[in-house]
Amino acid sequence: MESVSNLFSTGTLSQILVGLSRTTILFIVSSGMSLILGVLRIPNVAHGSLYMIGAFAAWSVIQLLGGGLFAFLAAMIVAPLIVAAVGFVLERGFFSYLYEREHLMLLLLTFSFALILGDLVKIVWGPEYRSVTVPAFFQGSAEIFGLPLPWYNLFLLVVGPCIAAFLWLVINKTDLGKMARAAAVDGEMVGAVGINVGWIFAFTFVLGSFLAGLGGALIAPMVNISLGMDHSLIMETFLIVIIGGLGNMWGALLGSLIFGLTQSLGILVWPQFGIAFPYLAVVAVLVVRPRGLLSSTW
Amino acid sequence: MLKVESAVKLFGGFRAVDGANLHVGAGEIVAVIGPNGAGKTTLFHLLTGHLSPDSGRILFKGKEIGGLSPHVICRRGISRSFQVVSIFPRLSVFENVQIAVLSRERKTFRIFSPAAGMAKEEVDRILRSVGLFDRRDVESALLSHGDKKVLEIAVALSGNPELLILDEPTAGMAPEETERCIALIRKLSRDSGLTILFCEHDIALVFEIADRIMVMVRGATVVQGSCEEVRRNAEVQSAYLGEDGEC
Amino acid sequence: MRRWRAPFALFVVMAALVALPHVVPRFHAYVAAIVLLTALLATSLNLAIGYTGIYQFGHAVFYGVGAYGTALTLTRTGMPAPVAFLVGPLAAAVLSLAMGMICIRLSKLYFGMLQISLGSLVWAVVYRWYSFTGGDDGIHGVPVPDAISSPKASYYFTLAVTALCVFAMHRIVRSPFGKVIQGIRDNPVRAAAIGVDVKRHQLAVLVIAGFFGGVAGSLFVVVENSVFPDMMFWTFSLEVLIMCLLGGMYSFFGPFVGASAIVLLRVFASVHTQYWGLILGTILTLVIIFLPDGVLGVVTRRPRAKGEPDA
Repeated sequence: MESVSNLFSTGTLSQILVGLSRTTILFIVSSGMSLILGVLRIPNVAHGSLYMIGAFAAWSVIQLLGGGLFAFLAAMIVAPLIVAAVGFVLERGFFSYLYEREHLMLLLLTFSFALILGDLVKIVWGPEYRSVTVPAFFQGSAEIFGLPLPWYNLFLLVVGPCIAAFLWLVINKTDLGKMARAAAVDGEMVGAVGINVGWIFAFTFVLGSFLAGLGGALIAPMVNISLGMDHSLIMETFLIVIIGGLGNMWGALLGSLIFGLTQSLGILVWPQFGIAFPYLAVVAVLVVRPRGLLSSTW
Repeated sequence: MLKVESAVKLFGGFRAVDGANLHVGAGEIVAVIGPNGAGKTTLFHLLTGHLSPDSGRILFKGKEIGGLSPHVICRRGISRSFQVVSIFPRLSVFENVQIAVLSRERKTFRIFSPAAGMAKEEVDRILRSVGLFDRRDVESALLSHGDKKVLEIAVALSGNPELLILDEPTAGMAPEETERCIALIRKLSRDSGLTILFCEHDIALVFEIADRIMVMVRGATVVQGSCEEVRRNAEVQSAYLGEDGEC
Repeated sequence: MRRWRAPFALFVVMAALVALPHVVPRFHAYVAAIVLLTALLATSLNLAIGYTGIYQFGHAVFYGVGAYGTALTLTRTGMPAPVAFLVGPLAAAVLSLAMGMICIRLSKLYFGMLQISLGSLVWAVVYRWYSFTGGDDGIHGVPVPDAISSPKASYYFTLAVTALCVFAMHRIVRSPFGKVIQGIRDNPVRAAAIGVDVKRHQLAVLVIAGFFGGVAGSLFVVVENSVFPDMMFWTFSLEVLIMCLLGGMYSFFGPFVGASAIVLLRVFASVHTQYWGLILGTILTLVIIFLPDGVLGVVTRRPRAKGEPDA
């Protein structure tokens, strides 16, 4: 098997590192999904659209500020904030009135938002591809164990753990985070002690949206920003959240690692259908642990 | 008929059922009583397969049934009602009972023959016997709470069980509904010799209809015996009067 | 009088459908055929979601597999056409069973999320497997047998098969099996407690729904003479779900009506605008907020206290 011998070539390590940096983005997006799932119990199909808006918004901010490192970093902050604002409007404007409904209805509502947001993006940004160039600061490659790794991927590898730490702090050390966690376990209980569950939900949804936007902004320099980039991502996010355990943040991290690594190694072994490997991994995980790897809040 | 020997069920570190013993003879009416959270419902879930025991034995007609699936246990001859009304709300009263009968007759995989006339006589007879015949075509979600509870008993009966388990059959009923329900339980026991195991909060009612009583506190059996024995038992009195004075 | 209303309405609808190709232009007959097979697809999905309460979020995959099964058999093997028309639906049924066995242990939403994402793997494989499935181009010019290849003949074939399948599903819904799956939908715990093996019944429903979804896919090949991967993309799965919701999931013909409405609207809208998502999304949002029982649900729900439910 020539394809398997690919696994032991020198390219494998750098492939793993590139895979890991992609994992960062998967993690950021799926942790947002997981938060919303855990607390609001909604599989947010519009999460992919929020991610796409993040990427387009980052492009616009960079265009507006004329490029360069400053514009890039500004975009990494402003774009997620724009997406968070969209999330705020969706949550306060629609979901907050409909939490009593069946989950199926809420899921379909998020799908209708995905459809609407998809077309709004088409109206605002047009159907053309957009691309963002990596600022000069991040251009070129670092040498890791004698292998070239683009600086930008290395940057992502640093950002990932920072976001994880940030989320850990928000969830475990702030009052809002603690309340959101309590609401995830038992929403009625939290309501019964007089905490306004509505605002916890809004906070969670906005934070989740922010993460989706951040993922979109961070991936902007690595891909063609295009309509439809939301569609493939959302299914990957679903799978990651399922293997990790619904609503579990660390599950999202573990799921992203499994997904990102099996995908990048899979492509090495079998370029055409490498994409199937993460799915096989998911099925294998679920046969052993049907409720996901880590404990689910459900 | 039913024998439970030191059954244990853990939820994490919490010992919900912790050494329960129970003996139910054929044709008896046996009640399980105990303070809230004593593990009565959990014990019933163990008997009907909704939970599986962590240790101990559950024998029905001499065979171990602990850990089997609910539908298998039902087919062995145990039917039950739940503490919170559990019926098929979008189906009519008739259909609620009908699918239980069809399930017993193993006809649920017939996919092309029309169900409308199937088992009609038997379903009507069951509905008459519980007094719901005049409401047979009503969507069951629209019934009153008491009628729903009775319908649930009718659904449980349709499986022709040898042992009927009722989890708080009169909970939430108005006084006259309770009367009706008790009369029904008595009738079932008298007319068809059905073995009945139930739990109930209303102690007076328990002493009125039960042949024997089992008392549970903190997951464990304190005593099981005739009404007189239980009434005289000092532990029971302290458990009830001491802990939440429910007696 | 009342007793004859439904058969009479059915007769009128059938007569209109039979006469249709003779009175409307060819394009309209083509649209009508698409309406019919999409309605069949939505009705088959509703067996799972409306009648059994299974959150079948990836239904378009079975539609697509049915279509590809038929198209590939026709183009790549010398097998006779009737075999091809069986291969598609059977492949869909088998896939439905396999996916069901993986997902069935999970509870409602969890089931749906896993099924839709596993479905997206099937899509990805079809999309990339150029040498076998034609990749993102799909397969065009599928050699449909002459007898059903003319526009009129393909319409009548679609009408006949759809009518037959809908009739079969109607029988199923009214059978003991059909009653029991409605019981499972209403209360799976109670269903198990009366001795029903819930998972086996659910798997059976998945197989039946997958099969009829596959039939709809095969019909698509007859009408369109081509297949392409997007017909099994997950967004279309959810669109079919919307059809069920729009028409009303708790009535047998609801999804049929919902599918007709959406297909017609889409054809009409595509002439005037490229923003179909905006339109569909807005309609869906309005329906969810104001008509959670669906359009037909509002009409039929009330008088259900007496008489036959759900059929």
